[in-house]
Amino acid sequence: MNHPFNYLTLMQFCWSCCSIIGFSIRMNLRGIKVFFIALGAGLNWGTYLVILHYSKSLLLSVFLSTLLVCIYCEIVARMVHTPVSVFVTCVIIPLVPGSSLFYAMRSFLEGDRVQASHHIAYVFLIGVTIAMAIAVVSSFTLLGKRIARSAAATGDQFDVADLMDKDNEK
Amino acid sequence: MSKIEIKEASDVILEVGRILLASGSTTNRVETMMLKVANCFGYPKTHAFVTPTGIFLTVADGKSEHRTQIYRVESRQMNLGKITAVSSLVNAMEKAHCDTSQGKMSIAKLKEELYRVDHTRNWPTWVQIFAGGATSGFFCLLYGGSWLEFAVAYAVGVLVSLSVYLLGKLRLTLYLANLVGAMLIVLFTKMFDVWVPYIKIDNIIIGGIMLLVPGLAMVNAIRDTMSGDLVSGMAKAVEAIFNAVAIATGTGVMFKIWTLLGGA
Repeated sequence: MNHPFNYLTLMQFCWSCCSIIGFSIRMNLRGIKVFFIALGAGLNWGTYLVILHYSKSLLLSVFLSTLLVCIYCEIVARMVHTPVSVFVTCVIIPLVPGSSLFYAMRSFLEGDRVQASHHIAYVFLIGVTIAMAIAVVSSFTLLGKRIARSAAATGDQFDVADLMDKDNEK
Repeated sequence: MSKIEIKEASDVILEVGRILLASGSTTNRVETMMLKVANCFGYPKTHAFVTPTGIFLTVADGKSEHRTQIYRVESRQMNLGKITAVSSLVNAMEKAHCDTSQGKMSIAKLKEELYRVDHTRNWPTWVQIFAGGATSGFFCLLYGGSWLEFAVAYAVGVLVSLSVYLLGKLRLTLYLANLVGAMLIVLFTKMFDVWVPYIKIDNIIIGGIMLLVPGLAMVNAIRDTMSGDLVSGMAKAVEAIFNAVAIATGTGVMFKIWTLLGGA
């Protein structure tokens, strides 16, 4: 099969959803938001697999799927009246490089220094990539909020100098 | 409307901040929520400075009165349910206040609600422990485990969640708790490996590790740094790195001990 939209991806989607349902119950969440969080986590892992299949680039697929799912979180978290950081925390868990951490430690114990440093590099690269994707989305949201506040304060017209004044006052 | 006493107001504001910070919220959110409550009580010139381990709060009405308090938060436990509950409580209060321009939600009511949020659990403990097992088991399937491995990972997840819960009662530091948690994951998996044939332990251990990974600290570090709270951003980033190191160390130490004791 030469395309990623098959039953294997669907199964992976389901496993990702189920595990995050467990995770969010463990974090003491309850209600409809558990469903949306699980859906987001499934989406995260699903898009990661699909992009990985087409681009063959690990870091690009991690970056793009986290970016997509963070935008999903910003929208859906507001709809169900939940803090966005609660959503993002649970949703990125499937991509967090726990497996590379383990393989690095095991290779080190087996005396294979090359493999160990290879896996450690992956832990750092994937971690930093997820961080960058979250940073991009959350800083754009902050910028959007500030523009909206400024536009509301000054009526319809607004310019950048005004924005900077507001910031200094605060 | 008679004004709320400054002493009472600042105590309630501090309680809001304490619950949020102790549940692992971003410091930016704690500050915003405290200022919202202060604004509703009629103290618009309030300032708050929050770090991951403490709260500095000056409540002032801008005319004559002001009162400063410092609060040290000793123990922090991840509890996203509490963050959500307190946030929606404060937002509801702000909305009611704006609609009628009279404090609709009284301070006594708010205190009562805060106490209720702080002392009720959304799920009983055993449900949370079994949910921990589900997390571990399904992560094992996600990384390519078989159904037999799923069953073993589920059992390991339940045992580890139970032990982490019991360790939490000892008030260990987060670093030590993660270290011991990772050691127990490897220990339980190796014990199951002796009794259950035809399982690969890699996926089971990874499933267990996903229970402990510092996702919350990582997300908080980034969101705090992006909103300009550099101190707490750095503190949370260091916390995330230390926890990852603790997990790796715990796994490695237990593997080594098992080998030294003569296990395969």
